Amino acid sequence: MGPLGRETWAQRLGTFRASPSAFMAGPEGEDLGRDLLSDLRSEKLSEPMKVALLALSLEYPDQLWPDAPAAEAAATSLLDTLVLLPPRPSALRRPLLLAATTALAAGGALNPASGASGRLLPLLLGLASGRDLGRSFCPASEQRPLQATAWECLRELESCRPGLLGGCLGLLRALLGREGPAQPLSLLLALALRNALVIQARAGAGLQGLLTAGESSMEGGPWNWMLAEEGEVHLQPQAPSWPAAEEDECGLAALELSPEEARELRATVAQLLDASYLLTPVAQAQLLWLLGWALRGLRGQPPVLFKPQLVRLLGTAQLTLLHAMLALKAAFGEALFTAQDEALLLRRLTLAAQHPALPLPTHLFYLHCLLNFPENWPLGPTGEEAAPLLLGSQLCRGLLPSLLHEPMALLARLHLLCLLCVEDEEKEGKGQDRSPRHYLEELLAGLRQRAALDGGPRALATLCFQASYLVAHCLAGQPVVLIPLTQGLAQLYRARPALAPHFVDLLDHVGPELQEPLRVALRQEVASRPGREEALRWHLQMLASVADGDAQSATLSFLRAAAAHCTDWGLQQALLRVCRALLRAGVGGGLADLLQELARQLEDPDGQDHARLYYILLAHLAGPKLGVALGPSLAAPALASSLVAENQGFAAALMVQEAPAPIRLSVGPRRAEGAVPVLRLQVEVLEPVYSLELRFRVEGQLYAPLGAVHVPCLCPGRPTRPLLLPLQPRRPAPARLAVRALYSTPSGLTCHAHLPPLLVAFADLFLPFPQPPEGAQLDFFEELWDSCLPKGTESRLWCPLGPEGLEALVSRHLEPFVVVAQPRCTFFPARSRLTGPRRWGASSPQPSVWVVTD
Amino acid sequence: MAQRAVWLISHESGTPLGGIVKFSRRYPTVEKRAKVFNGASYVPVPEDGPFLKALLFELRLLDDEKDFLESRDSCSHINKTSIYGVPVGGEELWPVVAFLKNGMIYACVPLVEQTLSPRPPLISISGISQGFELLFGVQDFLSSGQKTDSELNTKLSQLSDLLLQTCPFGTLLDANLQNSLDSINSASVTHLQKQPAWKTGTYKGKPQVSISITEKVNSMQYDKQEIADTWQVVGVVTCKCDLEGSMPNVTISLSLPTNGSPLQDILVHPCVTSLDSAILTSSSIDAMDDSAFSGPYKFPLTPPLESFNLCYYTSQVPVPPILGFYQVKEEEVQLKITVNLKLHESVKNSFEFCEAHIPFYNRGPITHVEYKASFGQLEVFREKSLLVWIIGQKFPKSMEISLSGTITFGAKNHEKQPFDQICIGGTAYLKLHFRILDYTLTGCYVDQHSVQVFASGKPKISTYRKLISSDYYIWNSKAPAPVTYGSLLL
Repeated sequence: MGPLGRETWAQRLGTFRASPSAFMAGPEGEDLGRDLLSDLRSEKLSEPMKVALLALSLEYPDQLWPDAPAAEAAATSLLDTLVLLPPRPSALRRPLLLAATTALAAGGALNPASGASGRLLPLLLGLASGRDLGRSFCPASEQRPLQATAWECLRELESCRPGLLGGCLGLLRALLGREGPAQPLSLLLALALRNALVIQARAGAGLQGLLTAGESSMEGGPWNWMLAEEGEVHLQPQAPSWPAAEEDECGLAALELSPEEARELRATVAQLLDASYLLTPVAQAQLLWLLGWALRGLRGQPPVLFKPQLVRLLGTAQLTLLHAMLALKAAFGEALFTAQDEALLLRRLTLAAQHPALPLPTHLFYLHCLLNFPENWPLGPTGEEAAPLLLGSQLCRGLLPSLLHEPMALLARLHLLCLLCVEDEEKEGKGQDRSPRHYLEELLAGLRQRAALDGGPRALATLCFQASYLVAHCLAGQPVVLIPLTQGLAQLYRARPALAPHFVDLLDHVGPELQEPLRVALRQEVASRPGREEALRWHLQMLASVADGDAQSATLSFLRAAAAHCTDWGLQQALLRVCRALLRAGVGGGLADLLQELARQLEDPDGQDHARLYYILLAHLAGPKLGVALGPSLAAPALASSLVAENQGFAAALMVQEAPAPIRLSVGPRRAEGAVPVLRLQVEVLEPVYSLELRFRVEGQLYAPLGAVHVPCLCPGRPTRPLLLPLQPRRPAPARLAVRALYSTPSGLTCHAHLPPLLVAFADLFLPFPQPPEGAQLDFFEELWDSCLPKGTESRLWCPLGPEGLEALVSRHLEPFVVVAQPRCTFFPARSRLTGPRRWGASSPQPSVWVVTD
Repeated sequence: MAQRAVWLISHESGTPLGGIVKFSRRYPTVEKRAKVFNGASYVPVPEDGPFLKALLFELRLLDDEKDFLESRDSCSHINKTSIYGVPVGGEELWPVVAFLKNGMIYACVPLVEQTLSPRPPLISISGISQGFELLFGVQDFLSSGQKTDSELNTKLSQLSDLLLQTCPFGTLLDANLQNSLDSINSASVTHLQKQPAWKTGTYKGKPQVSISITEKVNSMQYDKQEIADTWQVVGVVTCKCDLEGSMPNVTISLSLPTNGSPLQDILVHPCVTSLDSAILTSSSIDAMDDSAFSGPYKFPLTPPLESFNLCYYTSQVPVPPILGFYQVKEEEVQLKITVNLKLHESVKNSFEFCEAHIPFYNRGPITHVEYKASFGQLEVFREKSLLVWIIGQKFPKSMEISLSGTITFGAKNHEKQPFDQICIGGTAYLKLHFRILDYTLTGCYVDQHSVQVFASGKPKISTYRKLISSDYYIWNSKAPAPVTYGSLLL
């Protein structure tokens, strides 16, 4: 396809920007990247249009060239275009350099094997260091801007591939001492230095003369990728210079610097800091962050180097500079800031957080910084917002909220006020009239007054509830604050019941300290109303949230009065929701009457049905089960429809649920229990289980059918008696018992679970044998043997044995019945009397067994 | 410290989307780093459309406020900074720095160089302050000079090129965009050795230095026993130094007369090279005493080319320039008002203008006004429910003037009449607007002879002063009024 016209491109770019993903999915998407590259060389397109194309490639290289080979090819093409530009001034050189850099870095093609990388890096370094690239490359007037651009490109590449410029540290240092723009060079040097230190620390190596390598190190020859290769492995989140980060995460402590290297490093940092006044404020801040990162935790590098800069920075209004200073404070603490310095910094921060000349977003950020101030010796737990120790109430005076503040400022300052109230309380209030707490109360009252304004914007109501939430959260332990807050909120509800959704939300979020009293206050507030107001739907919504077992009669009489006015479906449903809440809370008698009345009285059939259903449920289900039947469905918590949720709730509650068993069964030690062999089952539960029924089944006709075992209640951690399972073996054979459990959970659900099978051993099928007296076993056996003989029969059999031999066979199956070990004498007690004592000779390979049966 | 993306969105309430993305810029190399650094908690920067919608919702700028929406109105959804989590595609993009100023939303997403879960504290993210500075820079650029829509559009169209200069890869190089524009336009300027990055060229021409001091005075007056009136002066000193040489040194001193009010809370421009510790520590936080540092306030600096704000300060003058009281009594559908204003004798009685605006909120339109003014004229804006008392250029000799009147209101119509969230019930205020040229309330001035310039040629030095009112409220003393904590500490 030939080059596209200007119009076509303008239209294409417009469509693309409107939705890149939609464009790329469309028919033109595939060709966009290719067309863009080829049309950059077209003579038909004007320079501004080509700049626009390059601007697009700077923003969306991933869409244009989605994989590394495509990115590599694009970068190559962009570099070719750059080289082919005629040697007159052109607006394309800068964006072409930026585009090639972006394509390589964003496309993941920056690596030693990449040809484009191999071309771009020396080109950038040559341009940046002002080396003569031949007159043909660019006219003299463009050299300065291109130089600055080249530095920026190198910095970006170093950011994306730490260590890339590690080999150039010496060169960068040498250049910093000379003429030329100080800013891009300083920032690049600081970044490369930081990265080199981190990489070398990980590798356990020193700086290896990188700082003193001089200019020749990068001249000619291939690019030195050594450090970058190390860095690539470790491109991972950087340790922020913040105390919350683990000390060793930074890892610089491992770096061993020779005295000479340490000296060079110090000299470099000092050189950078000395020239920092030449940088723009934002760049100065970047430099300080980078150097703070570089030196933090590094042994033998005292942070006093920063000190000369601090006073100058402390006086400025610049957000970035003060922020960078806080970063240094966090990184070095007492080593850089004495207690006095800390106090001064805090004062400046307090001042900046309220200075009328600064904009609101800055104030808010400084307030955040105050509550997260990196103190030298923090007292409280880390990670929690708190007022720094040195920030007394005197300092805070100007930072307290007033109704005139913007919502965000009000909330931020309110938080500070709450923290002050906590402190104030700890100091045992000095009986002042104007304590922070009184001020807080007045402020909250003002907020409520605004929220109560009929027809006022919702944002005002939201603000009032956010403030109440914040206060309840911060001052949960102070009834002296919560009592008036509860009363005030109840009054607010009286004034504007339409805020019911906000109240419900607040009740859902606050802790019990406010939740419980507020619930009671609101319930009283609603119940005391005549049930026929315009606000009925709000009252019902409120009541559905706060109704419980207390004060039933007031609630029920309100509902009874309200029922007459619930003429439309929505109100009837709201009314029934309250009934439902009462059902869940276990309200009985009066409610049954009300439900019956409703079933008759409500006009809407749906309402009638629901009332009837609730009545039936109330009449037939026990309390806990009812609670579950009506509770929020576990099956579909995200589903907002109350109808579906209700349906699923019933289904869940009234059907048996398949569940993983919270029960563990095992066979315990044998003991004689009556005339039949009995399995003693040990049972353990992981959660309370009620009405447990265990059912057992065995394959084949080995035993008579097994009865179920019932246990009324089992609780975890409480000792349980063993469960007894009598066995009636028809044939003495080991077996696996399949076990199923049926039980109720504490929440009232009935569950069914399969337990792992129980193994019944051969020995379990016989009665245990009483222990003969010690030392008389042989005689005892002989007497037993003989006593069987007169009536019984004696038989003798030979049987083949498996490879395990007789010993193992006996010990596996007959161990509990061995009376004498040598010669082996075993006796089986059986159901009637004796199945027979047996003896056998162990020596022959095919042992003979004598059996006597009665 | 880099940004992943920047947006400018004009907020247009009433339109279907609620706003239009006027400008956006993404930084794919930074995005790539974000993916690595954020790991599993990485959330990609969305396309403009979804972002616009989500941000407007988060900033409560969509018009639909009728119903309670938990995701917006929940009491636990508290934002205390201009940094938001914006829900996009089931995930939350955080941190988004955003604020609304003059109908334009400025937004950016700073890179966080670690995992986002758990969220690190904002203070530990270097990109936050850099993001703010970028947005402030864009805002300054857009708001400087222009007022018309076409001028704004011209500036918006320049923005893409400007960010290519000042923020080519998402890391901000200079928040002063105007500087970059100048440097694009004068690409041939020869840079000298050690040229500061904040100075894009050198000045050629007649040396001159111009310094102007603008003080704004705000006040809250209650005329009540238990509540103290408050007032404060906020000053800004603006300089333009047209001097030759790459780094000329200048020292500017602010002086106070013997009875002047000390300057406090001084914040200086970064070009100031050193600061006296007395300047650094003088602060309104401390209780005032006679030992307070009262100048001269010396600022040694190397000035940039453009006009800049050398410093900001506040000051606590002993009395407010105009003391007033305002009483409102409600009688059925009528309001009876009484206003008294007194200019303090020490204040220069020569105004550029002086007006008292008396608004009535949450009521119907004004239907009838009867009044008596001891001085000046009264203008009535019936539909706006507003009275404007035009006092003029001078107070009379007695320095005291009064106005009393009876105002009748029509039926309230929510849509037309102004709503106010403060003026509920009897709560009401009047607001003073005035300006006095060649005068400062603190007495602060720049002595031309004290300005030292270390550059070739003797510069012409010109100085200007003015006092402007700002948030100068006098509250109805017969009803509750919003107070600050400071006014309760009698």
